[in-house]
Formats: sequence, structure tokens, C-alpha cells
Amino acid sequence: MSKLERLLNLTAALLDSARPLTAAEIHQRVPGYPEGGASFHRAFERDKEDLREMGIPLELRPVEWTDPPRDGYLIPKEEYYLPELDLERDELAALHLALSAVRLDGIHGLEAMWKLGGTPEYEGGLPVTALAAIPADDNLVQLFAAVVERRQTSFVYHDEERSVHPYRIDYRKGRWYLTGFDMLRDAVRNFRVDRIEGKVTTAEPGGFTKPESAPGLELEPWVAGGESEIIAVLSVDHDQALSAVHHVGTEAVSRELPDGSVVLELPVRNRDAFRSFALTFLEHAEVVGPRELRDDLVRWLEDLAR
Amino acid sequence: MSRLTASDRLRRILAMVPWIVERDGPTVDEICQRFDVTRPQLLEDLEVLFMVGIYPYTPDELIDVRIEDDRVWIDLADFFRRPLRLSHAQGLALVAAGSSLLAVQGADESGPLARGLAKLAAALGVNPDDVVEVHLGPAETRTLALLTEAALAGHRVEIDYYGYGRDERSRRIIEPHRVYADSGQWYVAAYCLRAEGDRVFRLDRISEARRLEERFEVVAEPLQLGVFRPEEKDPRVELDLEPGARWVIEQYPCESVVELGGGRIRVTLAVSARPWLERLLLRLGRDANLVSCTGDQALLGARREAAQRILDRYENRYAEPA
Repeated sequence: MSKLERLLNLTAALLDSARPLTAAEIHQRVPGYPEGGASFHRAFERDKEDLREMGIPLELRPVEWTDPPRDGYLIPKEEYYLPELDLERDELAALHLALSAVRLDGIHGLEAMWKLGGTPEYEGGLPVTALAAIPADDNLVQLFAAVVERRQTSFVYHDEERSVHPYRIDYRKGRWYLTGFDMLRDAVRNFRVDRIEGKVTTAEPGGFTKPESAPGLELEPWVAGGESEIIAVLSVDHDQALSAVHHVGTEAVSRELPDGSVVLELPVRNRDAFRSFALTFLEHAEVVGPRELRDDLVRWLEDLAR
Repeated sequence: MSRLTASDRLRRILAMVPWIVERDGPTVDEICQRFDVTRPQLLEDLEVLFMVGIYPYTPDELIDVRIEDDRVWIDLADFFRRPLRLSHAQGLALVAAGSSLLAVQGADESGPLARGLAKLAAALGVNPDDVVEVHLGPAETRTLALLTEAALAGHRVEIDYYGYGRDERSRRIIEPHRVYADSGQWYVAAYCLRAEGDRVFRLDRISEARRLEERFEVVAEPLQLGVFRPEEKDPRVELDLEPGARWVIEQYPCESVVELGGGRIRVTLAVSARPWLERLLLRLGRDANLVSCTGDQALLGARREAAQRILDRYENRYAEPA
């Protein structure tokens, strides 16, 4: 009798049963356990550990009509079975290619593909190479779970105990960020996941309601400031237009001119940071307006040109 | 192949059984290919399944496995009718990978990846855009696909490239070795025929890419190069920085840092190209003071001259009427 066979029969028994099974019943029903009580318990403990590690939801619940009251084991079907996804062939292939191209450190994606229906076949081999490896750790997975299940989350950040309603996680510029409602600050805040100290802990699912529109992550320094907002109009020459648009996004483009230059409209809440950004283009860009920003830049340059 | 543990095999079997149950006798080869398993291993796994069922393990309570003409049928496995749901880690891996490719400019928002991801997210009970967004860097899908395919197939590519450091545009022919994302940017590591050496190019600065018919031999283990490597021959500058400009030491590789007291520091930096230094000095303004140069005395005037060039533009052109 192999351990694999015993684990399969144990999973089948706990999935099939309509009520929780006590340890004694499991000992009696599932073949392959040692005879003696103590060695059964040791083997059963290890098996439970193995199943839980695989993500099988193994629960301990009171068994009805027992006197004295006893607890029994059960795998809730609704938590075990993957809902029907109805993935088309090309959709499965696209997910597989994405998973092959972009990997999360330490997370084995292949088993996920097996669950979705196995890896499709490609003529002439897998048509992608690894493009990126994204850092991931246990805290990140916990935070993702907390976002999905709306669990209030606590962790230590900058030496303070923070309690957060997690809204979303974002990966930007090589780092993970958490956005959520911070109970301590009574406002929405962004946190760098790699700066969380120690382990995050999460409360029960469904612990809060997410607002319809939660503010997203804002990393551009000229937007992230606390000053009154002003819309800057920046014209960028042809050669630099492409990388400028890549940087700020196509939605910031207000005009494209025949000479290949672009006019960008950018919300500015930090004037110093905007000036720094405009200066990275050297003489290939011009702050067209408003007057306040244009004059500021000219004054700055006149001082440096002296 | 390393020996699989019981739980490794269990993971695969729990996913494989529902897939076989749903189909009318898939072939052994097809199952092996889909579930990354060898034929002997698969047959060994099926052998175990014969013995699995529920109490009291009478024949009608045991899983029924039939292998005929190299095809496999499984019945009486109702408890394994669906695979185990995705773990949070697996859900995250799929959503993050899918979202990162959809975030690339020009990605097909109604293509198979977007549709597959939407179904997956629905099963997880989330709206994918709402919970995770992965930005690997700015790039266009077309350029990304062209370079990835050229690197796989060994095609040379002609690119129109804006070199930021030198502030100049050039047309080059490259042999792309590897496309990768790192710290918020997409790069292609390539052999550049013009430079006669290995170079790294940022995808957001490639304004045009054209696949050429000329071939090269694909490198098995391409090198991943760092972005900036100061060279011996590069000029060096010494800057005195006010406390407000200390971030420079975190952002750039300083070759020496000396504390001057009161939070002020003196740093030495290698200058690979003059425009790079101009940008840094213009941005820092009076928070930086260029003390000395070695290798290129003309750099002493970098800030003043660059400021004047930009001012010329502001004086020569008509601005928005106030």
C-alpha cells in the first residue's frame, strides 16, 4: 500500500462524505494506515499536513448527534472544486504562454495549468521565452488573498502597527505596492510591499466593503504632490515624443503635430517635480503653458545660465 | 528526472483525472503531453487509481480505469469530477502574468489572453483590473513581439533608436539575443553591428523596428547585461551636493562620497555622455556645484551652456498667448 494511494483514498473519503468523519472512522475506512493508535495518529497528522499544503481545504467540524460531542474531518465540496471556466483552446494557450513568459518567483505555475486543463501542444515548440521574473513572497500571496476576499490586514510598516482594508496590489518599476484604507491615518495610502516588516496577518473574509472608485497608485512625482492642481501643457519634439508618450501614457496626449512632435497635458501637483521632468528633455521640449509654470522654468534656467 | 514525492503525484492526478473523465478516451500520448508526464509514470499513476474509491471498496465503489488501444477511460470517480481550485499563489501567478502582457501598449483587449483572464478572474470572484495590475515597463506589443520572435528565430533587426544618454538618434542593425523586463523597463540585449559589441537597448526608445531576412545563429545562453557600466576612459566629475540633493547617491553609482558636514556631501561620478550630466545639473540647480572635472574640462560649462540652449528656444518661439 503506497502513501499516494492512501492520500487519494483519504481525499476521496472526505470529499464524498456528507458529514464530518471522526479520526476513528477514517482509521477504519481508509486503507493503508498503521494498526496502533499512536502510529495511526502520527501518519494521519502528516497526511493532513500534506493535504493542507497542497491547498486542499480540510476542515474540522463538530459531528452531530455524538455524545460526548466529537469533531470530525470534512472537505467542503464548494471550496474544493474549481468552478467551471469553459476556457477555449486559444484562451488556455494564451494563459499558458503568459505564464511561461512572466514568472512569479517561487510560485510553480505548471500545476495551475494542469488544473485548467493541461498545457496545450504547439507546433515547433513553445513560441515564447522567459521575459520577466517578478519578485513574490508569502506576504504578497497573503495580500492578494486579502484583496480578493476582502480581509482586513495588519502588518508593521515604518515601525508602526498598521491595519488596512486592502483594495489592490500593483507592480510598478520593479516593485509591488499595496493600496488600501489605512485605519491609523484614516485615509487611503500606498505601501511598498518589500518594506513591510515581518509577516502580514489577515482577519475573516468579507470584512469590509470596497468603495466604487478607490484611488489608484500614483507614482509620477509631479502628480503625487500636495499642491493645488494645475494642468501643464508640454510640447515635446519628434525624436523624444515616443519615449515621452510611453512615460506619461497616451491619454495625456492632447495633440500630435505633422512634424512628429506631441503636445501633452499633465496634471501637476508638485511644481518642482514637473520642472525636473520637463528639463530631462533638454532643448527638445517646451512648457507651453500655463504662464506660471513657463515663467518658473525660465527663471530657473536664467539663474543657471548666469 | 528526479523522484516525485507522493504529494507531487497527487497534485497531478487530482488535475488529470477530471480531464480524462470528461473525455471519450484520450490517447496516452495526449495525456502525457498535457500533464508533463512520461508514459511509464502515467501508467504507474493509473495503476494506483485502480485501488482508489470509497468505503466499503466494493467494485462499484472503486474508480474504473480502462486502457484499450492506447486510449484511456476513467469512470466512477464522481468525487474527483472537478480539479482542486487554484491556490491564491496560483491565481496570483496567472493574473499577474496575464495582466502584465495586457498592460503592454497595443495589446489585444478582446484577444484570447484577455478573454481567458476574464474567465479566470470571474472564477476567482474578482474583476482583474480591480485587484492586480502589473506594469513591467513601457513598450508596444508590436515591437515586443517582433524582437521576441526575431530572437527565437535568429533574424537580424533594423532599429531606429534614440540614445538618451547621448541625446541622439541612430539607425542600427542588431542581432537580438534576449528580450527582458527589469525594474520597470523593457530591454533587448543584442549584438550591435554598428558598435561591434553587445549592447542593451530600451524598448521605449526604439521608434521603429523592422525584421530583416539576414539570419544569425541563436545564442543558447544569452548574456544579460547591466544597463550602465562606467568605463576607465569616461571623464569624471566632482560635485558638491546640498542636503536636498543627497538622493543622487541612491540613484547613481557614485565612485566616492565624502561627508562635508551639515548634510552636504562631495561625490565623484563617471560621465558616459555629456547630455546625461546636463540633465542632472539642470534638475539639481543650485543644490549642486560642479567642483572639478578630469578627462574633459569642457564639462565645467555643462550647466550654464545647457541652460542657455534651452532658454534660446523659449525666446525664439511664440508661446501660448497669456
